[in-house]
Amino acid sequence: MEKVLDKKSFPQWVTKLSSYKVYAPVQEDEAWNYEVITNPEKVNLDFPNTVLSPKKIIFPQREVYLEFSSSDEDGLELKEVLPEEEPSVIFGVRPCDARALALTDKVFSGDFEDIYYWKRRNQVALVGLACSVPPSPNCFCLSVDGSPFSTEGLDILMSDLDSKYFVEVFSKKGEQLINAAKTLFKPATEKDKKELEKNRTEAKKRISRQIQNIKKIPPVLKGMFDSPFWDEESMSCLRCGICTYLCPTCHCFDINDEVLSSSPLKGRRIRTWDNCQFPDFTMHSSGHNPRPDKASRLRQRIMHKFQYFVDRYKNYQCTGCGRCISRCPVGIDIIEVLDKVSSYEG
Amino acid sequence: MKDNTYIPKLAKIIQIKEEVGGARPIKTFMTQFIQDNSFSFKCGQCAMLSVFGKGESMISISSTPLIRDYLQFSILKMGRVTSSLHEMQEGDIIGIRGPYGNGFPMEKWKGKNLIFIGGGIGLAPIWSVLHTALEKKGEYGDSMLVYGARTSKDIVFKQELAELRKKMKVHLSVDVEEPGWQEFVGFVPLNVLEIKPSPKNAIAVTCGPPIMIKFVIQNLKALGFEDEQIYTTVENKMKCGIGKCGRCNIGLHYVCKDGPVYSWAELKNLPQEY
Repeated sequence: MEKVLDKKSFPQWVTKLSSYKVYAPVQEDEAWNYEVITNPEKVNLDFPNTVLSPKKIIFPQREVYLEFSSSDEDGLELKEVLPEEEPSVIFGVRPCDARALALTDKVFSGDFEDIYYWKRRNQVALVGLACSVPPSPNCFCLSVDGSPFSTEGLDILMSDLDSKYFVEVFSKKGEQLINAAKTLFKPATEKDKKELEKNRTEAKKRISRQIQNIKKIPPVLKGMFDSPFWDEESMSCLRCGICTYLCPTCHCFDINDEVLSSSPLKGRRIRTWDNCQFPDFTMHSSGHNPRPDKASRLRQRIMHKFQYFVDRYKNYQCTGCGRCISRCPVGIDIIEVLDKVSSYEG
Repeated sequence: MKDNTYIPKLAKIIQIKEEVGGARPIKTFMTQFIQDNSFSFKCGQCAMLSVFGKGESMISISSTPLIRDYLQFSILKMGRVTSSLHEMQEGDIIGIRGPYGNGFPMEKWKGKNLIFIGGGIGLAPIWSVLHTALEKKGEYGDSMLVYGARTSKDIVFKQELAELRKKMKVHLSVDVEEPGWQEFVGFVPLNVLEIKPSPKNAIAVTCGPPIMIKFVIQNLKALGFEDEQIYTTVENKMKCGIGKCGRCNIGLHYVCKDGPVYSWAELKNLPQEY
């Protein structure tokens, strides 16, 4: 389904979605992030890259999933805590971040389906915003099978055509959102489609950064496990973990118990994002650590994204958003690292 | 709704046995589920044990799956959760979820002689597969156990080992000389060389400290064992147990899900990340 929506009508559409919890990018000081919207007039789709991707809505930074308390005498009671039932919609999802969710979908599926992830994922509709202008100078989606108007993982994709949005709908969830405000959407004309094509050709040209020879990287990495390369590349790393913390595709987590009262026992089990760049991520209780230094942890990050994940799921575990590059305090640039990998001669 | 694997089932500790005292104590816990007994597992699989308020720890199941009444875990006191377990009393409640991991491919071993080689607490995962093979004696050839610990005080399952001698060859060792010790003195890999088990129609299963495993494998190779005849288990820090939380991988393998059991033919091609 292809429609157009007058930009001025956009707040009216959002207003009609009152039965949904609506998220959109919100600016606070310099930073943009996806937050719950109460005033549709305030939704502004003219935003650069958000600090965190919308992954945080589906896979929150911290979630309580189990409560425990002592019952009579020496008994214990467990209570499963599931995400609330609330149909939601996220506006302004960048195509790279939507593709990232298509990747975490794979991780949280399989033999053991992750009920917490899927409860949220299934009730969220993703309304994408194509990137006519790259939202970050470090965008490189074209190098990792993406594009500024990729539709993968999206229910709707909106493209900015000056006074209006070109609106493409890909799913039932998407249709329901359009049907909530049917009269606001007009059929797309041939002229609109032509304009869209032109817009997309231009958009591609505006992406300046790219990885050389990406296809070479997974096989080359296979021979680089014991290379001194990782020592050199990780030298400046401060092990702050911002690269993986902001990554829309990273999914590692920790599980811990929080005690609210020790007698009688009352507490909860929480899952929080965790980070492969932290030393204690892999440290055994004996003190032995299979990834004891910065080199082995940078190697893990690169190999997970560009070798292990490719072997397992046939995709790079990177969608080219560029957040890790823009925010690294010491300028470790994944594109530069990968370019060195592809030209590596052991 | 599908079963939610993250939620443990409550179980009661019905018996605690002190195996080893001192600075590296080991206790064996027998547990029984409070509500249902539907937990079925394969030898070599693990379970995630919960001490509520402290956290979870992945522990290998040392009882045989042929016994359905209880699960047994032999646990070395090490971190937060295992230390809390060591403070618990009979009757206390823990949580158990799982089973996780691949387990030993015992179906493939039918008709073969089984050589079990363990060190320290590494006898726990072996105990399950060894007793299962013993129970199904007709299905396997001759079995043998080679087991060692730092000192005689560090040997686990002492009484059971004495019983076991009636059913199979048991070769014990301690690392250093001590008064009254009649058997082999030296590291387990050396005892393997001394005993010279035949590789003919045999499978060797070795569990223990990584350094022991490394030299056991080296010595088995010297005795003529092929990579496919040698099995071991790998340990790494785990949280989820289902290949999602991202920390226990060696290369592209998640030890919690794709392991912990590997043949040497498989493991030698994986990076040394354990």
